[in-house]
Amino acid sequence: MLEARMSEAGTLKKVLDAVRDLISDANWECNEDGISLQAMDNSHVALVTVHLSQDAFEPYRCDRNMPLGINLGSLTKVIKCAKDNDLVTLKADDSGESLGLTFESSNTDRIGEYSIKLLDIDQEHLGIPTTQYDSVISMPSAEFQRICRDLSQLGESIRVEASKEGIRFSVEGDVGKASVLLKQSSGRGIEREEESEEEEEEEEEEDDDEDVKPNVDDEDNDDVKPKDKKRKSAKGGNKKKKAKKAKKEVVEDGVSISLQQQVSLTFSLKYLNNFTRSTPLSSRVTLSLSKDIPLLLEYEFGAGHIKYFLAPKIGDEDAE
Amino acid sequence: MRVNSKENIRVEEIENPVNKKRKVTDDTKSGKLGSQNDKKQSDFADILENLQDDAEQSSAESGQVWARPRIPKFEPMVDSVIFQQIDLEEASIPGAEPFIRMHGVTQEGFSVLANVSGFLPYLYIAAPRGFTAEDSEGFSGYLNASFGNNGKSIVSAIDIHNRRSLWGYRGDEISPFIKITFVDQRSMTRVRGCFERGEIHFRDFFDDAIQTYESNISYDLRFMIDKKVVGMSWIECPGGAYNLKQSASKVSKAQLEFDIHHKDIIAYPADGEWQKMAPLRILSFDIECAGRQGIFPEPHIDPVIQIANMVTRQGETKPFIRNVFTLKSCAHIAGSQVLSFEDETKMLQAWRDFIEEADPDVIIGYNIANFDIPYLMDRAKALKATKFAYLGRMKNVKSEVGSSHFSSKAYGTRDSKQTNMEGRLQLDLLQLIQREHKLRSYSLNSVCAEFLGEQKEDVHHSIITELQNGTPESRRRLAVYCLKDAYLPQRLLDRLMSLVNQTEMARVTGVPFNYLLAKGQSIKVMSQICRQSQVHGYLVPALRVEGSDDQYEGATVIEPRRGYFDVPITTLDFSSLYPSIMMAHNLCYTTLLDSHTVERLQLKEGVDYIKTPNNDMFVTSDKRKGLLPVVLQDLISARKRARADIKNEKDPFRRAVLDGRQLALKVSANSVYGFTGATIGKLPCLPISSSTTAYGRRMIERTKEEVESHYKVSNNYSHDAEVVYGDTDSVMIKFGCKDLETAMKLGAEAAGVISSKFPNPIKLEFEKVYYPYLLINKKRYAGLYWTGLEKYDKMDTKGIETVRRDNCRLVGTVITTCLHKMLIDRDVKAAEDYTKNVISELLQNKVDMSQLVITKALTKTEYDAKQAHVCLAERMRKRDAGSAPALGDRVAYVIVKGSKGAAAYERSEDPLYVLENNVPIDTKYYLENQLSKPLLRIFEPILGEKAGSLLTGDHTRTITVATPSVGGLMKFAVKTVTCLGCKAPIRGSEAAVCKNCKSKAGELYQKQVSSVSALQVQFARLWTQCQRCQGSLHQDVICTNKDCNIFYMRQRSKFEVASAVNTLDRFDDDNSW
Repeated sequence: MLEARMSEAGTLKKVLDAVRDLISDANWECNEDGISLQAMDNSHVALVTVHLSQDAFEPYRCDRNMPLGINLGSLTKVIKCAKDNDLVTLKADDSGESLGLTFESSNTDRIGEYSIKLLDIDQEHLGIPTTQYDSVISMPSAEFQRICRDLSQLGESIRVEASKEGIRFSVEGDVGKASVLLKQSSGRGIEREEESEEEEEEEEEEDDDEDVKPNVDDEDNDDVKPKDKKRKSAKGGNKKKKAKKAKKEVVEDGVSISLQQQVSLTFSLKYLNNFTRSTPLSSRVTLSLSKDIPLLLEYEFGAGHIKYFLAPKIGDEDAE
Repeated sequence: MRVNSKENIRVEEIENPVNKKRKVTDDTKSGKLGSQNDKKQSDFADILENLQDDAEQSSAESGQVWARPRIPKFEPMVDSVIFQQIDLEEASIPGAEPFIRMHGVTQEGFSVLANVSGFLPYLYIAAPRGFTAEDSEGFSGYLNASFGNNGKSIVSAIDIHNRRSLWGYRGDEISPFIKITFVDQRSMTRVRGCFERGEIHFRDFFDDAIQTYESNISYDLRFMIDKKVVGMSWIECPGGAYNLKQSASKVSKAQLEFDIHHKDIIAYPADGEWQKMAPLRILSFDIECAGRQGIFPEPHIDPVIQIANMVTRQGETKPFIRNVFTLKSCAHIAGSQVLSFEDETKMLQAWRDFIEEADPDVIIGYNIANFDIPYLMDRAKALKATKFAYLGRMKNVKSEVGSSHFSSKAYGTRDSKQTNMEGRLQLDLLQLIQREHKLRSYSLNSVCAEFLGEQKEDVHHSIITELQNGTPESRRRLAVYCLKDAYLPQRLLDRLMSLVNQTEMARVTGVPFNYLLAKGQSIKVMSQICRQSQVHGYLVPALRVEGSDDQYEGATVIEPRRGYFDVPITTLDFSSLYPSIMMAHNLCYTTLLDSHTVERLQLKEGVDYIKTPNNDMFVTSDKRKGLLPVVLQDLISARKRARADIKNEKDPFRRAVLDGRQLALKVSANSVYGFTGATIGKLPCLPISSSTTAYGRRMIERTKEEVESHYKVSNNYSHDAEVVYGDTDSVMIKFGCKDLETAMKLGAEAAGVISSKFPNPIKLEFEKVYYPYLLINKKRYAGLYWTGLEKYDKMDTKGIETVRRDNCRLVGTVITTCLHKMLIDRDVKAAEDYTKNVISELLQNKVDMSQLVITKALTKTEYDAKQAHVCLAERMRKRDAGSAPALGDRVAYVIVKGSKGAAAYERSEDPLYVLENNVPIDTKYYLENQLSKPLLRIFEPILGEKAGSLLTGDHTRTITVATPSVGGLMKFAVKTVTCLGCKAPIRGSEAAVCKNCKSKAGELYQKQVSSVSALQVQFARLWTQCQRCQGSLHQDVICTNKDCNIFYMRQRSKFEVASAVNTLDRFDDDNSW
C-alpha cells in the first residue's frame, strides 16, 4: 500500500518532462525512503536515476517495497490535467493493478481523481557503480543548457575538457567549429569566454591549431603546467590575428571545479540536450568526469535528485 | 554452392546446461517440437546407402557406369534414326550456307547430332504494282550487285506467292508477294534494313520505305516453324537419307552424327505416342569452395574443393551415378564414389572428363548459372587448365561465360550469367523457381522447406574451410553435405515436375526449350501466330516498334460492400474471360478495320462488322474468321482434350505430362491478350487489347444488372439478390438464402441464365460458394470455399497479409490463424483471445525471432529514400564485408529499440547479431506498424468499434525488455539483483528474495527449478532436432541457417537455459532461508 501526497504537482510534471523522452516504460520503486526510478534509455547509451525522497511527501506511507510499472507517456497525459500548484496524492494498493492520482486545487474545492493501469515490466535492474571522479564541476544549470543548445547547432559531438584553467566545451561540425570556456570563478560570478568561427575562417584557424594547440591525444599524458602555457599562448595568438566574437559575461552563480586530474571526454549532444530538460528543477548542475567512465550529470532539487549517466564516445564510434 | 553466408559463425559448443537439480517435466512447448519431430529426417548418408541398395544390388559400388550404352550395329541405308531433339542452333561455316545443328537423344539413350542443311532464310515484301515473274531475275541481279561480296551472290531465289497480310482487313482478295530467299541470315538482315529505310531502288518499283514480312524471326525458330518442328519434339531421319559420319570426321562427341537435307526429316507433332520423353541424362551438381575468413570466395584465389554429382535418367527415380570429386583424401561414403585428388587442376580436369563421359543432356543445379558454372570456369582459367572449358558436346567449341540482362514485365529485371554448352540444356532451379513462385526467401533451404517439406543443414563458408583443412573424416562430412546439395535440385525437379512442364510448354508454344527461361512470353505467342499464319496463308509483318507508354484502361472492379457475411456468397466466374471475348467478337489483327476500308467496301455495321465499346471496328466472323480466335480455339480445345485425357489416364507419368500440357495451354491462351497489348512487343495492337478489356468491363457490369434485376422478390424469389463484389472476371452474389444448397442451386441457374445473354463462347460458370465471407476491400477478402455440400474445400484468401512477403512472418501466422478461427471454427471469441495472447507474448519477448524477421530484396545500391534493409546491408558491410548481403540477395532484418525519434531504417538489425547480443526488439514497432493494420482490417467488419481494444487491452500490460550485451553504457553498467518475488532491488546478504518475500522463497525456488528443467528439455530437443537434420547424432551442430526457425529457437533456448541456471544458482548463495 502506497500513499504519498505532494504539495506541488508542478514538481512531478517537471520530473516527468525530464525523463519521458529517454524512457517510455519503467518501474518506479517505492520503499520507505521514497520513490525512485532507475532505467536505461532504449539504445542503452544513457541511464537515468530519479529519486523523490519521502521528505518531499507529506504524508508518506509505504508498507512494503513495490514496483509501479508505468508507461511514462500515459502518466504525463494524466499529470497534465493538474495545475502546477495542485496537491497531488499518489495511491496504489498491493494488487499492483493501478495507480490512483488525486489532484486537489489549493484554493477551490475541485478534486480530480485519475487512475492509470500499471504494467508488469520484466526488465533487468541496471546501475552504474559509484566511483571517485577525476573532476567534479558545479555550474548553473541554465548556463549548461545554453551551451548544449548553442553547440548542437554546429555538430553532434561535444568535447568536454576540464583543466585547472576551467572547463571547455567544444564542437566541430561541417559548417564550422565552436568552443566555450568557463573559468573557475573566484568569488561569485563566472567568466565566460566564447569563441566561434564560421567556415571562412576555418582554413586559417587550422594552421594555427597545428602550430600552437596541443595534440589532443597527448593531452592526458602531458604535464599540467606546460600545457597551460601553450593554451594561453594559443589564445593570445588567436586574438591578435583575428577579430573574433569574444565577449566576457558575468553570470550570477559561479562555476566551481574540483580537479584531481584533467580530463577530456566526448559525448553525444543529442543526449545532453535531452538531459537539460531537468533545468527547470534546479538552478545548479553537477558534472562529474573521469577518463573512459560515463559522465554523471546531477540535478539536486528540494524533493530529491535526478542523475544521468552517459557513456563517452570512444575511438571510431565518433565516426558514426 | 555457397551463396548465403553469415558472419563469424560460432561452432556451437555443446554447453551442458547444468544438470544438477534437473527434473524432467513435460514442457508446454514440447507439443510444438514434437510435431517437428514427426517429419523425421533420416540421415542423408543413409539415404545414399539406400540409393545404392535400390539401384544396383548386383554391381559393386565402383561399378557405376558413366558412359552411354554402346551403339549396336545398324545399317544407315535402311535403319531410320528417331530421336527427341533437345537443342537446336544455327551454325555456319564462313563461306557456306547456314545449317541447323540439332542435338538429341534416341529412345535407347544414344546421343545424336543432325546437321540439317539446305534450309535458307527468306523474307517477303508486297509485290509492287506491275512487278511480274519476269522482273525476278533482274531484281535478283540488282540485289546481288548491290549487296554481293566480291561477285558472290546473296540471293538464292525470288518467287512470287499470293498471300495476305496479317494486319487489317482489306477485303477478301489475295495479293502477290515477293519471297526473296537468301544464302545466309546476315544478307537477309542487311537487305531487310535497306528495304525498311527505303534504300532499295529497282526500276522505280520501290521509292519509299517498304514493309517487310516474316523477317524478324531468328533462323532457328524460322526453321522450326517452317518444318513444323516444336520444342523437344521427335524427329525421324529415314534410313538412306542421312550421311553418317565416321569418328574421324565428326565435329562433336555425339554417338551418332550425320548430315541430312531438311526436306528429308520427318517431324512428329507432340501427340499420342510422340508425347513420350527420351531417357535424358540429367546431371545435378554442386560445388564447394574454400573461402577465406569473412570474404566471399573469389575464383582467382579460393580453390574449388569438392564437386558432387548426381546423374539421373529421365523417368527413373534414383540417380544411377553418384560421385563426389574431392581435393585431398576423403573417407569412404557408402553409396557414392569418392574420387580424391591432391591437385586441384587435376580434379577440375577429371571432372570435365567425367562430364564428357557421362554426357548429360540436361544440367541442373541451384544457382549454377550465376555461381557454380562461372566459378568453375574462372577457377580453371586462374589455374590455366585450358582444356577445362570444353564442356559442350562440340569438339571445338569452347564454353564461355557471358552476361545477359533480362527484362520483362511479367518476370521483372534480372542480370544473369550464361555459359554456352552446345547440346546440353541448362536448367537452373533457382531461376526457374524465382520465375514461377513467389517466396519469402529463395535460399535452397527455404525452397526445400517449401516444396519438399524439409530443412537442410546450412554450413557457413568459413566452416567449410575448417572442415576441408581437417581430417579425411571431416572432409567426408563436407562431402555428404555437398552430395545432399547436389541431390536436392534433382528432387525439386521431380517434385515440381519442372522438366515435364517446361517440355510441354515448349511443345505447345513451339519454341526451343532454351527459350523458355531465357526469353519472355511474347516469343511464345509470336511462334504460335507465325505457325497459324502459315497454315492460313497470312504473312506476319515485321513491325518496327517504338516503345510507347500508352496506357489503356484495365479491368473493372465493382465497389465492394465491405463486411462480414454469415450467409453463402455465390461466386460466378467467366471462364478464360479474355480469350473468350476475343473469340466471341472475332477480335484479331486480320479482322481489324479502318473507316477507309469500311467506305471502300460498303460494309454495314452490325452485319459485316462490329464496333467495340472502345470504338474500334472488326469484321464479323461471317466475313472472315480471325486468326487469333483460331489460335485460341485450338489452345482451348487442346486443353479440354488434355483435361479429358487426364481423367482416363492411368499411368502417373503420362498424367503428369498431360497436366503440364493443360497448364501450358492455359497460360498460352491467356498470354495472347497480353501479347497484343505489349507496346514494346513484336506485334502490338492496342485496338485488340483495349477492346478486350472494354468488353470485359461491360460484361461485369451487365452481369451485375442482370443478376439484380432477375433475382428479385417481385420475380418470386425469396430475397432480392445483391452483387456484393466483382473483379475482372468474377462476381460475388448474395442471394440472401441461408443455406448452401439453395445458394449453389441458384448459382448454377444464374450462370446458365446469364451465359445465354452473351455471345458464344463466353460462358459464365458457377464454381464456388464462399460461406462465410469476409469482404475487407477491393482485392482483399477471405472466405471458406465450398464446391460441394458435405465439406468445404479450403480457406481462400486474397490480398490479405497471409502471403505478402514485405512484412514479418508473425503477421501471416496471426492473420491465418485468426481467419481459421473465425471462418472455419466460427469462433470470433477464440480469434480474439488468440490475438490477445500473441500480442501479449510479443510484448513479453516470447515470440520466436524467426517470426519477426522481415526480408526485402536488395535490388540496387543507391536508393533515393533510406530504407531499412539498405541501411542494414551497409552497416553489415562495415562489420564484415564477406557476410554482408550482396546485390540481389534478400536481406533479413528485425527492428530493434533505439533512441526516441530514430527512424525505422536506423533501427534495423541483423537477426543473428540481435540473437547473439540479446538486443531488445522493438515490440511496439511490430505491434503498431506490422500487426495493427492487418488485424484491424479483419476484425473491424466483425467487431466494429471494439476492434481497437485488441491492441490496447489489459493483455498489453505485461512487458519484458531484454538487456543487451552491446550499447554505449553496457560495459559500465552492473546488474542490480532484484527480488525474484517482487522485483524490488536487493541489498546486502539476501541473494534471491527480499525480506518481504522471504515467506515465499520455497515456492519461488520450486518455480525456478521447474522452469530450468523445462528449458533444458527444450534445448535438448532442439539440439537433437538439428542433429537429426544434419544427419548425425554424434557430431556437434554447425548449422547457422537463417531461414530455419529451429535455428533461432535453438540459439535463444541456449541463452535462456544459461540465464535460468544463473538465477537458480542465486538460491545456493542465499543461506537465509
